[in-house]
This record gives sequence, structure tokens and C-alpha cells, in this order.
Amino acid sequence: MKEIMAIVRMKKTGATKRALIEAGVAGFTAVKAMGRGKLLPHDEINVPCKEKLMGMAATDVIDGEESEEQVVAFLDDKTMFPRRLFTILAYDEDVPRIVEAIIKANRTERGAGDGKIFVTPVADAVRVRTGESGDAAIW
Amino acid sequence: MQFVRAIVRPEKKDEVLENLSAGGFNAATVVDVVGRGKQKGIRMGDVYYDEIPKTLILVAIEDADRDRIVDIILKTAKTGPSGNFGDGKIFISPVEEAYTISKGAKGL
Repeated sequence: MKEIMAIVRMKKTGATKRALIEAGVAGFTAVKAMGRGKLLPHDEINVPCKEKLMGMAATDVIDGEESEEQVVAFLDDKTMFPRRLFTILAYDEDVPRIVEAIIKANRTERGAGDGKIFVTPVADAVRVRTGESGDAAIW
Repeated sequence: MQFVRAIVRPEKKDEVLENLSAGGFNAATVVDVVGRGKQKGIRMGDVYYDEIPKTLILVAIEDADRDRIVDIILKTAKTGPSGNFGDGKIFISPVEEAYTISKGAKGL
């Protein structure tokens, strides 16, 4: 018995739910969470992102220097971004399939910030309605 | 690989995250939660509070970093020299696999 914790983009919640159903897993628990990733030393992700944000800056409201400061502060890897944290219980043998489905549904072109998946062991589970425990309680 | 779940006071969240980042643990997930501890909540006169707001910080780490991250959280989240009820808890559990979605591969 395993617990799969997947942290995904808010916008990808629907796609993840569909992918889970296609993978044969209907049940999940999801909460809103804020998160940030590791420090990015590689500029090939940050530089285009900075250019794009600078292009969106309203220069008539604040001057360019100030918006550049804000964009740099936004991209310094310490900003917390909204994410959705899915928790899914699964049988051991289904884990690779579910992980594969979540990765497929959530991968984007951006190269960073698509999320993480963690697989952790679960000692036991109990279904409240019937009281059955162990593998029988998962689905 | 291990999972650190730290329940801290909401007002300590920013400080804990700042110190974690300075200690090399930039990646974290934060969830607002409510809960009570073994003091059964707080009673103020006739009013009883047992859903006290806390912040849950989730960090995945390599096994070797465990003592260092626990030390950072303990030092930062503690209030006053001897600590107070409600300063929080740290739970550590095993993680068997971790995947980075943007790379589509295993690893933190």
C-alpha cells in the first residue's frame, strides 16, 4: 500500500483529475498549498521568463526600473506560488502507472515549476463505512 | 529520502522558510491547517478553542540532511528561551521515490 503525493499547478488540477480517472484511480484528496522549488542556477529558464514579464509591465504606471526590481524579486526562487497537493492511496503494483499518468498530464514546456511526486509507504488504511482495513480499504 | 512535516505557528512561517532557504533547503510546500495538541486546545473563560491555526511545511530531503533541517526548524520555530505550548511538532517519514515532473525523471 502506497501513498502518492503530487504537487501540481493549479491550472492542471482538471487535467490531473482526468488523468487519474483514465489510470483507473477515481479517489483522491486535494488541498490548496503554496510552494517553491529549489534554487535555479541555470539562466535558460529564468532569462526568457524575465523578458516575458518585462514585456507585460505597464510602463505608464510604474517606471521600467521599478518593474525590473519587482520582476527580479519575483523570480529569485523565494516567491511562494499556489499549487494543488493531491494525495492518492494506491496498491503497490499500480504506483508506476499512476506516476506516469500524473507526469504525462502535468509536464509543460516551461522547464521548471511543474511539480513533484512523492511515493511514501502506508502502514494501514481503514474504510470508515465498513470498518474493513488493509488493501480492501483502498478502493 | 525522507519527508519532513513541520507544524509551526503561522507567524513563524516566513522566518522558518527564510532560514531553510539560507540553509540550502529552498524547496518547500506550505499548507494552512488547524489543529490542537495534547493540551486539548485553549480555554479562555467560557470560550474553548480547539482548532488553532497552524502552518504545515513539507520538505523532502536526502537522509544525510535530516539533522541539519530539524535543527534549523527547532531553533527558528521555538518561542522564548524555554519554548511554549503550541510551538509545533516535526514529523519525519520515509519517501521511497520522488519524481520531478518537468524533467519527467526520478530525483529531487
